[in-house]
Amino acid sequence: MEIEVQLTHELIAEKIPPPNSIGAHGAWLEFRGVVRAEENGRAISALEYEAYPEMAEREIRRILKSLSVRHPCLAAKIVHRVGVIPVGETAIYAGIASSHRGEAIALLAEFMNLLKQDVPIWKVRALPPSSITQPESSGTEKRQPSQAAEKLKSGALSFDEAFAKIRSASQPLPALRAPLAEAFGRVLRETVRAVEDFPAYDRSTRDGYAILQNDSSETFQIVDTLHAADWKPRQLKTGEAVRVATGSALPCEKLRVVMQENVERIGDTIKIIRLENAANVRRRGEEMRAGQTVLQPGTVLNAGTLALLATVGCAQPLVSPRLRIVHFTTGDEVVPPDQVPRPGEIRDSNSILVRGLLQKFPCDIIQNHLREDFSSAKSRAEMLKAEIESADVLLISGGASVGEKDFTRDLLAHLGFQIVFDRLNIRPGAPLIFGVNGPRVAFGLPGNPVSHFVCFHLFVAAALRGLVGAESENFLRGPLASGLEDQPNPRETFTPARLDPAGLHPLKWTSSGDVTCLVETNALIRVPANCGSIEAGDEVEFLPT
Amino acid sequence: MRLLFFAQLKDATGCASAEIKPAMPLNAEQLWTELLKQFPKLAAHRTSARFARNQEYATPDAKFSDNDEVALIPPVSGG
Repeated sequence: MEIEVQLTHELIAEKIPPPNSIGAHGAWLEFRGVVRAEENGRAISALEYEAYPEMAEREIRRILKSLSVRHPCLAAKIVHRVGVIPVGETAIYAGIASSHRGEAIALLAEFMNLLKQDVPIWKVRALPPSSITQPESSGTEKRQPSQAAEKLKSGALSFDEAFAKIRSASQPLPALRAPLAEAFGRVLRETVRAVEDFPAYDRSTRDGYAILQNDSSETFQIVDTLHAADWKPRQLKTGEAVRVATGSALPCEKLRVVMQENVERIGDTIKIIRLENAANVRRRGEEMRAGQTVLQPGTVLNAGTLALLATVGCAQPLVSPRLRIVHFTTGDEVVPPDQVPRPGEIRDSNSILVRGLLQKFPCDIIQNHLREDFSSAKSRAEMLKAEIESADVLLISGGASVGEKDFTRDLLAHLGFQIVFDRLNIRPGAPLIFGVNGPRVAFGLPGNPVSHFVCFHLFVAAALRGLVGAESENFLRGPLASGLEDQPNPRETFTPARLDPAGLHPLKWTSSGDVTCLVETNALIRVPANCGSIEAGDEVEFLPT
Repeated sequence: MRLLFFAQLKDATGCASAEIKPAMPLNAEQLWTELLKQFPKLAAHRTSARFARNQEYATPDAKFSDNDEVALIPPVSGG
């Protein structure tokens, strides 16, 4: 039997041609499994599927082969879609050709049962109705919907909805082992345990004399002298003392150290003048016990955690990979920062802004500029095909002209990305585009620098943290240092602010792209839609940036 | 050995894949012991998940060695 199997993120075509065995087959049976508007009794807008693609293909082939022994058929074509599939669209297509209808019908029925039993494909999530079907709330710009947008009919999502979609699309990339010197800023992806007690033996914290804990002798015989690196185990007896230095490994357990300034030394003996309460000993395992978990997966490795890894001998921790990021700027009006813009032109500030924002994440960045002409952009993208295909994240900074959004969306679709959403009900950053292509994610960032800054912290950072396996950053609560005037804000707004000991100072910003307010910004205040004025001293939610 | 996790098992492990280095080939029982050491939350899925070795379901007597790709397959729900 001729078998064709395909797993795809794309829409499954309305018409699929029959196989070449046409003429030989008397039956061409087609079946489409379609996403219902209801899952487990609840209304939904889409289902999200995940697959183990290589194995799913093999399993489908194996099942078809074994079934064709009992139900000899001529050809089979199976297409299973994965990713987010809206209600009414095909999740699975099966086309079976056979000489007579009986074999094809029997094979198809059994195949579907076995598929649902053995093929590694999962429905991972049902999306609630609001996430796709909500009407566009602000359609000020008239545009021809591009192919990708039409397919998805994406509405304007709230911050929470968009955030959830980004987090669920940004799954942790495979971890790898890296030397400590290259691990800064990466995310630990394994549980690290202490392999031995730390300290590994009782250690003196003073220069002085070690004696048995409960020894009440008048005088002590000095039986040994230990230097910092000495290791001379012995069982001390009553009336015996060992001269020790700070950090010395004590000769046995259950000792105390009398500071040298509290003894009187006479030849090889000492007499204690004053006995303190403190034992002056760091006991074995006081800091960490053998087998104890010292770091959990998901920890972002900083200087302190790296020092701890070194202490426990974890020299090659399992960590997130360096992210590979391709960033395109677009727009014909921008010139490099070292050039003098002609009338109508501006200097490109987004390249360096994005590069700076990415500094927190260990990553390799490739930046390039695309002219706002689809065929020239396509050929430039073709030249960078290998880089784009191996990138974990693709960022496209929009230009300022009308139609730039279609340009970005069409370019993403051309590069194989499925558009998950292309409009948000927030300010600034409403025209943000988010796309997925397998494990890879892409953002089309609205052109002005303030939108870039806000979208990066709210959304791009969330995707990056998902890809490296870190928790997302939570909003904090804090008081406003100066009030926020009532202003018409039909959308949830993220206002740049300066956080200092007095609280949050909202900064003046405009959606037309003032870079100056970013100089002071170190927080974004989350202002609910239509909330009226907020007084100084009132608590608000904010995200540190 | 490259380990792959899918669907709800990703939530249990917090990752889509992991590497382990077994000194010798492991049987399914030993592999579970290793897995649970690193990912204790997988315990809840032990009765329902199946192993696949190099993209095929593993037979009960399969041995998993260092250069295998091993996937933990929770109950499927395609179609």
